[in-house]
Amino acid sequence: MTGGNLVWTAQARDTLRVVSPAGRIDESTATAFAEHLAQEIEVAAGDGAKQLAIDLSLIDYMSSRGLRGLTLAQRKSGDHGITIVLVQPNDIMREILAISRYDMVFKVYDTIELVPSGAL
Amino acid sequence: MKVRFWGTRGSLPVAQKSSAVRDKIAAALVAADGRRFADTAEAARFADDTLDFATNGTYGGATSCVEIEAVGGPSDDGAFIVCDLGSGLREFGLNAMARCAAGHARLYHVFLSHLHWDHIMGFPFFVPAFDPGAKIVIHSGHPDAETALRRQQEEISFPVAFDWLRADISFRTLEPGQRYPIGAVTVELIAQHHSHVSYGYKFTDADGKCAIYSTDSEHKIDRMDGESAFVDFFTECDLVICDTMYSLADSISMKEDWGHSSNVIAIDLCHEARAKRLALFHHEPTYSDADIQRMHRESIRYEELTREAAPLDVICAYDGLTVEI
Repeated sequence: MTGGNLVWTAQARDTLRVVSPAGRIDESTATAFAEHLAQEIEVAAGDGAKQLAIDLSLIDYMSSRGLRGLTLAQRKSGDHGITIVLVQPNDIMREILAISRYDMVFKVYDTIELVPSGAL
Repeated sequence: MKVRFWGTRGSLPVAQKSSAVRDKIAAALVAADGRRFADTAEAARFADDTLDFATNGTYGGATSCVEIEAVGGPSDDGAFIVCDLGSGLREFGLNAMARCAAGHARLYHVFLSHLHWDHIMGFPFFVPAFDPGAKIVIHSGHPDAETALRRQQEEISFPVAFDWLRADISFRTLEPGQRYPIGAVTVELIAQHHSHVSYGYKFTDADGKCAIYSTDSEHKIDRMDGESAFVDFFTECDLVICDTMYSLADSISMKEDWGHSSNVIAIDLCHEARAKRLALFHHEPTYSDADIQRMHRESIRYEELTREAAPLDVICAYDGLTVEI
């Protein structure tokens, strides 16, 4: 599935839905990124998921608009009782999360397997 | 064009505590590692060449005041051009008096971003306002600028009334979307999201050099589409001075609606606008010099990580910095 120039894959693991966007999240793709995340939250809610894990391993980089898209998704998911977590950030994303202090407002896990089951 | 920073701190003037100075001295002594210096000049060279800025200097603690120096153009009246009247204005005023004594015109064009206390608190201490031969024009997007300046000098707040000032002081309201030849520059302004609204300014000199002063400007998470107006305003500017008070996370969580922005958004806007240089400005008053230096280094790194075209030079404003454009 594509959103803007991003390529998305998704999988369900019990009460955890994992989405994996790939590409650059900049001014040209941030809107599509946020819209696709909103759709994934609806899907996760329909499936009875309690957590949505966003796999950041294939993100080339994410600008402030993409980061703010994460916040909008976090707000929307809260309305559905779903917690968003970030997983597998590559080295660039790990730096961007630290510089923006987004690692203080999202739980970040090194692997999907480390995400605890159940609501966080 | 030259840009001089007289006050770069946000919200509240701050000063170094003795423990902070002691820590800098201790760090310098450790860095010196027992070496001897012939005199203070040699020691100063060592400090400049070896120590980082947070150790050998300070970002300062005066609130917003930035001078734009330009010459030429049909409207050049030789006036000083000053953005905001924060506590940094006091030192600018003393410096300006010295320059006037050397022959500089006693004319001042002031441009107010907005009327909050930290941006006007220097005016009662602005020595040129007591000079009967000085002329001061205060430009603002706010029609109530005069009310704000008079009110802070009412008896309940200050012992010297506004009417006791001797300079010829006038107020002029400017409109966004217009181009005003004022002094040696052409001035444009843009409305910004901030309590009681704020305005960003673009100053273009006769050579086409351009500086932006955009402080106390929150870029709202639910109005990201509106950022294109700022990209247009910043387009290909030589220097963009931006409010970078908070981290991005703080600006959209605990400090949302406090009216300020982040280093990360400023870099993204400047990248998109193909601006040449960004000055981080309006520093958080709780930040130490080390905190601001860390924020500056992180900003440089973020610029590297997200750069798609020409590099953006990210500098960090401090009280006393002069930038040549």
